[in-house]
Amino acid sequence: MDFTFTSEQEMLRSGLARLLSQTCSFDQRQARLRAGRGHDADVWRQFADMGLLALPFSEAEGGLGGGASDVVAIGELLGRHLVVEPYVGSILLGGKALALAGERAGALLGTVIAGEAVAALAHEERHGIGPLAMLGTTLSESSGTLRLDGDKRMVLDGAEAQVLVVSARQGDRLVLVQVDPAAAGVSITGYTTIDGRRAANLRFAGVSIDPAAVLLDNAEAALDGVIALATLALCAEAVGAMGALLEASSTYGATRKQFGVPIASFQAIAHRLADMKIAWAKANALLLHTTALVEAGKGGAREIALLKAQAGRLGRSLGESAVQVHGGIGMTDELNVGHYHKRILAIEAMLGSTDYHLRRVGAAAA
Amino acid sequence: MDIEFGPELEAFRREVAEFLDTAPTPEIREAGRKTTSAFAPFEAAIKWQGILNQRGWAAPGWPKQYGGTGWSVEQRYIFAEEYWKRDLPPLLPNGLQMVGPLLIEAGSEEQKARYLPGILSGEDYWTQGYSEPGAGSDLAALKCSAVADGDDYIINGQKIWTTLAHKANRMFMLVRTDGAGKKQQGITFLLLERTDYPGMEIRPIIGLDGIPEQCEVFFDNVRVPQSARVGAENDGWSVAKALLKHERGGSASSPAMYRRLETIRAAASGTPSPHGGTVLDDPVFQRDLGELEAEIAACAAFEKLVISGHPSAADPAMPSLTKVMNSELTQRISVMMTRVAGLEALPLQPEALEVGSTAAPLGSDLELLAMPYYLNSRATTIYAGTNEVQRDLIARTLPTA
Ligand SMILES: Cc1cc2nc3c(=O)[nH]c(=O)nc-3n(C[C@H](O)[C@H](O)[C@H](O)COP(=O)(O)OP(=O)(O)OC[C@H]3O[C@@H](n4cnc5c(N)ncnc54)[C@H](O)[C@@H]3O)c2cc1C
Repeated sequence: MDFTFTSEQEMLRSGLARLLSQTCSFDQRQARLRAGRGHDADVWRQFADMGLLALPFSEAEGGLGGGASDVVAIGELLGRHLVVEPYVGSILLGGKALALAGERAGALLGTVIAGEAVAALAHEERHGIGPLAMLGTTLSESSGTLRLDGDKRMVLDGAEAQVLVVSARQGDRLVLVQVDPAAAGVSITGYTTIDGRRAANLRFAGVSIDPAAVLLDNAEAALDGVIALATLALCAEAVGAMGALLEASSTYGATRKQFGVPIASFQAIAHRLADMKIAWAKANALLLHTTALVEAGKGGAREIALLKAQAGRLGRSLGESAVQVHGGIGMTDELNVGHYHKRILAIEAMLGSTDYHLRRVGAAAA
Repeated sequence: MDIEFGPELEAFRREVAEFLDTAPTPEIREAGRKTTSAFAPFEAAIKWQGILNQRGWAAPGWPKQYGGTGWSVEQRYIFAEEYWKRDLPPLLPNGLQMVGPLLIEAGSEEQKARYLPGILSGEDYWTQGYSEPGAGSDLAALKCSAVADGDDYIINGQKIWTTLAHKANRMFMLVRTDGAGKKQQGITFLLLERTDYPGMEIRPIIGLDGIPEQCEVFFDNVRVPQSARVGAENDGWSVAKALLKHERGGSASSPAMYRRLETIRAAASGTPSPHGGTVLDDPVFQRDLGELEAEIAACAAFEKLVISGHPSAADPAMPSLTKVMNSELTQRISVMMTRVAGLEALPLQPEALEVGSTAAPLGSDLELLAMPYYLNSRATTIYAGTNEVQRDLIARTLPTA
């Protein structure tokens, strides 16, 4: 047993940490968001140059053949630095879904991996994610042509993406289709999210689909695999954000004085900080353990659900404590604390909420 | 014991209901629906106060001779119930619930005559300048100084978290007039007739919800008349304590909480659940909604005991009990709202949130409000004395070995 990162992974992490502290400081992030820009093209190019974008794809796909632990090694740092670049949206969701088409993804996938095009996966609906029978977006055939109908929510980078992969139900099968964002019948409402990302609601009303644009039929298991890896990365981000909040709060507790003493000398604050540490230790341990399981081919839907639920609930409680420990200053947009918390809240809501995953785990024996 | 309000009050309830059904303008109703803070959207709340004041109902809790209603506690409770059923914006608290009652209790006749009418009508809004960067929970450590100069004081220093200072035209504040001795001594309570005195600068602070609600206020040799003082020089701490009584006294918050609960239930019944059916069909959600209602019921019962004069009202822990219960329930309600909204709580929709905006929300009202309300509510356990400090106060009222 070994739950540490390899020396190559540590090298990658220190290189990335250096890049992020130069290009993605909190002030730089806020300035970009205020300017109304989502992610930064230069930073994204540097991610590509470092091989981060190619990492999770197989060599046959034009990637570097990285696994779950590589994605977690990166994800934790992206969370710790509050990075808004579309790594989950364009690479782990859009790109990996596109790659399911195999050779047919071809050159298009190459442009996504090179950082030249942005890909998005439209999967979640108003109820979030759920069993196939609940998927409301349908692909149907009438008089020899295929049409797509349905509503998708919270599609990361959905308004900016050049490559759009959409999940739909065709009878009792899940299919993945590629949709031209400019096609007739597609309407896209883009917005910024509480955690500074770009996302969109998508509506498909009788969009006609070329049979060649059906990327994969019977795609349920394959899509579950894509979502599992993206969920792992999101949980790694949550753990990174939790670590940053723990550090910020304990430092603040040691330096902020009231009544002539550091506030961490009050037991109410000391115990709150201790609880934050306990929450981080649990989430971090489960993250690394689950990663090792997934890498060994032993991590299924249940293990991912357990991790997602814990990252969400422990993360939320740690984030709320971080605000409370900081008092008034914790309520401001100027300090990074609230932004970490909002990132955790967004992660908790995406790809199945805490409630959703806990119920699934509780309902069925392992 | 008697739980009934009495039949004569049914006519009163109808009178209140009829007024509240007809008097508010559409803008005021919209502001009520879009309230995501203890502080309602400013302009609409002030207009609404003006309308209520014309009817004589702006300050139900004040004595009649100063423009209050003279209502019994039952009537005030009925008023609160009818008020919250209609999603009306809460009136801004600083004048009506803080400075006003304080002046009635401790102000000079001249101060009462000068300030109470503007407080009642809403023409004057008073911001509270207590906290400083170094003086939060330890308020008595405040440093912002006032030095006597002829008939004036000259103020230097800084205040922070001054809610709505950028909208207010008046400020009540604590200043240090003596640096020697115990820190609670040497504090003086001042009423500032303007917030634009030469040397005064106000900078809004953006909150977690993206809305500027609090401010920093800087004083650089600001000259104010000494007649602005309430109480004696260096006796401001006891004035502030008297005011705190009004700020933390018995409240009727539970009708508003019940209203939020109803809204949550209605929204949940129209929201699809990933387990099939609606969110309201989910037994886990039902259980949690039940728990929330049980907590609100306990809080509502406690409030009624207090306002009806039950011995609980005299419990020295009462103000802190009320503060902790209200704030933590507000947060739980807000969490429940984000739970129903799910993914739909994540888009930022600042335009749709503005009163009078033509921007339609992406989804339902609850989905629009859930996240700003949740984020803003994190402050309820921080302001008006943090809940850590309140628990200390409660503990101190208990017998110790
Ligand atoms: C939304 C909002 C509105 C506000 N409005 C106003 C206003 O209009 N006017 C105004 O003057 N002020 C206002 N305040 C300020 C408010 O009163 C202070 O934020 C509050 O007193 C806490 O002070 P602080 O922020 O400096 O936190 P600190 O006092 O530094 O507290 C930081 C943490 O330490 C804890 N702590 C401190 N002392 C102790 C102790 N002895 N034991 C255990 N724990 C302790 C606190 O509970 C908190 O968790 C507002 C604050 C907020 C958030």
